[in-house]
Amino acid sequence: MNKFLRIIIGLLLCLATAQAQDESFQKAQTAYDEGRYAEAVLLYESLIERGIDNPELHYNLANACFKDSDLPKAVSHYRTAWYDLPRDPDIKANLHFALNAAGAIESTPSFLEHLFYSLSRSEWIIVAVIGYILLTLLFILMLFMKRARRTLLRIGLIPAALLLLAGFGWNQWRQLSIHPEWVVVKTEATALFGPVEGSTAHFKLPLGALVQQRSTDSKGWVEVEYDGKQGWLKTDHISPVSP
Amino acid sequence: MKFEIRNLKRILPILGIFFCALSALAADVQMSIEPQLISLLDRAVLKVEFINASGNALDIPQVDGLNIQYQGQSSETRIVNMKRTSKVVHTYLVTPSKVGDFTIGPVTAQYKGGQKELTAQLRVIKPSDDKKAQEISELMYSEISTDRHAPHVQEPFELTLKVFIRDGVQIDGNFAIRGGMPENGMDGDLAWNVIDQTREEVNGSIFKVYTLAATARTLTAGTFTFQPQVQMNVIIPRQERRSYGFDDPFFGDFFGRQETRPFVLDCNKLQVNVQPVPMAGRPDSFTGGVGIFDFDVSIGPNKVKAGEPITIKMRIAGNGNLTQITPPKIQENHAFKLYDARTVATDKPNEILFEQVLIPKSDSVTNVPPISFSYFNTKTTDFRTITRGPFPVTVEAAPQQAAQVIATVPSTIQQETKILGRDIVYLKPAPEHWKTAADRTWYEQPLFRVLLALPLLLLLLIAGGTARHNQLAGNVALARRQKAPKAARRHVQLAEQARRKKDEKAFYEALWNALAEYFGHRLNLAPGEVALPAVRTAFPKQQESIDHLFNTIEQRRYGFTAEAPLAPDEMKALLNELTSTLKKCERVRL
Repeated sequence: MNKFLRIIIGLLLCLATAQAQDESFQKAQTAYDEGRYAEAVLLYESLIERGIDNPELHYNLANACFKDSDLPKAVSHYRTAWYDLPRDPDIKANLHFALNAAGAIESTPSFLEHLFYSLSRSEWIIVAVIGYILLTLLFILMLFMKRARRTLLRIGLIPAALLLLAGFGWNQWRQLSIHPEWVVVKTEATALFGPVEGSTAHFKLPLGALVQQRSTDSKGWVEVEYDGKQGWLKTDHISPVSP
Repeated sequence: MKFEIRNLKRILPILGIFFCALSALAADVQMSIEPQLISLLDRAVLKVEFINASGNALDIPQVDGLNIQYQGQSSETRIVNMKRTSKVVHTYLVTPSKVGDFTIGPVTAQYKGGQKELTAQLRVIKPSDDKKAQEISELMYSEISTDRHAPHVQEPFELTLKVFIRDGVQIDGNFAIRGGMPENGMDGDLAWNVIDQTREEVNGSIFKVYTLAATARTLTAGTFTFQPQVQMNVIIPRQERRSYGFDDPFFGDFFGRQETRPFVLDCNKLQVNVQPVPMAGRPDSFTGGVGIFDFDVSIGPNKVKAGEPITIKMRIAGNGNLTQITPPKIQENHAFKLYDARTVATDKPNEILFEQVLIPKSDSVTNVPPISFSYFNTKTTDFRTITRGPFPVTVEAAPQQAAQVIATVPSTIQQETKILGRDIVYLKPAPEHWKTAADRTWYEQPLFRVLLALPLLLLLLIAGGTARHNQLAGNVALARRQKAPKAARRHVQLAEQARRKKDEKAFYEALWNALAEYFGHRLNLAPGEVALPAVRTAFPKQQESIDHLFNTIEQRRYGFTAEAPLAPDEMKALLNELTSTLKKCERVRL
């Protein structure tokens, strides 16, 4: 009986929490519609602080940040939303718009990068799992249907190709963990030739520019790549974006 | 009185032996140095000996003109004339750096019997072949200098290190530079090379001078201090010659009449003030070059069809940070497609080559735009820009098929020309389900990993089962072997039922069937071939019980015996015997 009561109470609590989240989200929408962008930012951020991690939330927060003239944060949240929904046209358009507004140069992905970024990391994993299960089923069928083995082997090329493609796709996203993306959060950020204070200035980065990490230094320096150039920045000039 | 003297004669030797033994065990500590007279290039060994006591290494106070290094400890035990003596010896190596009389200590040593002040005397004299030298630094020293005292950041500058060795001092020719370099701000480690070896006169003495050179470059501005510590090995004749019975110089050297000793040379301190490259007046075409350079550009071919590549070769030559220079930028234009520049390997050390491919999209292209290279000139301390071009080219219209390919606008240009909306896209509605970070990374959950293993396990299980099935289908003996216990169990159950019903005939029939089925399957025999001799041969250890079972069951089954029917307990015992015998046979490997 006690157990049943606990389940009921747990379900009610979940419903109440979901309703509270809906209410906060709606309040933030209203604040945004009424031009109270700073308030909308706070409301969206409070949801993120509660552990909510929907791409829609990051996208709306990014919109509010953009309207509140906080370009680095807007770019950062658009990019975070894009990690989950890489094909979403709204996210892509707004990220492009924000980067243009910042005067930042967008990196142009190669054909393969474009292909592998067409699905999110979760979607590539689902593709891999489907390929894997299909391949396993085909192997099981092969054990029972000896005469159809050749045909089944040929059919097996499809899930094997899926698995391989998903592997490459997953690896593409993995590169973002190895070489994470950062957003420039300080004006007049200048990348230097070396990871030392007073080193020669190499190139300047606009506020809100997205850069990719190449390597790090133990003294708080990050080697970043931007517009095909590589230079060193202090970590207080940039904020991490990649998950 | 006589008694007392007689007793004294007995006691005195015993007391004598006792006091002798006691004196042998008396603890002491001593300090000695060997030899006490050495030349400037020689070394002495200082020993602190704890006799019949143990003690730790002493902190010998520094003595100006001597370098005292602890070498380690050793211990020894001696028994001479029934006297046992033990020693703990701490050894120090004493290397002089100037001549004079030196007192090492006093130093206080603690030991079992108390404490003691220890001192040692050492005299260091001039080397026999050089009466002028008072200090090591007069025999060997090094000097560092540079060609530029105020270079700029990234500008390479030469460091020259001269090692002076007075004539007569023998070295093995190996130099090691240990420390004394700036810890931060240098671009890589310095690579020293011996570039010259001469003889020079310094203050009336002849010196062998080794000149080492290295190229330095800094990443930052500021003051950099160089005071390298040159370590080299000096070949010194041994003071104490060993006698091996050969007076030949070859054998003398071979058996250790010479030894090499490492010395660290004194060196002057060199301070280099590195100037920053100014930010003011830095042209857009500055690509990191610091030094004095020349810039050349060549293109080829000059006559192409639209869609065909033109290679632009850029050469930067001179003195400076060539490896740090990024390719000069070519102004992008919609009329041509520009690929990234790449560095081309070159044999010449003072130049760097870049190649960049440009593809004209149409025959409207008449020239390749001018290319500028800007660098910071360290001689005039300003930025210089060298511009080459424009380079006239003749572009012919391409065939229709090729033109279609070229008509594809590069994505970078597309981005530039894309007309953006006036505002960002509006907000998204609330999601149907709220997700947490853990929901997003469901693939990292342990449950997912466990589930992922299930299809593979299923495949392995099915593959294993199929393999087993195939094996049994192809091997009748093995298949029958597998069936044997089950078949016997079925008949044993029937026998148990018959026993309960007191149906003696059915009981013995079931027992016989159990035996026949089990051994028939087990030994892969035809139903008629199951006979005692075959079974006995297969299970020699169970012969006795098998004989008993076969004989008893057959006799009872066919009524060959005149004995009275078995009592229920005896029937149960027979059944148990059969069961246990079959179990034992089951464990036998055939």
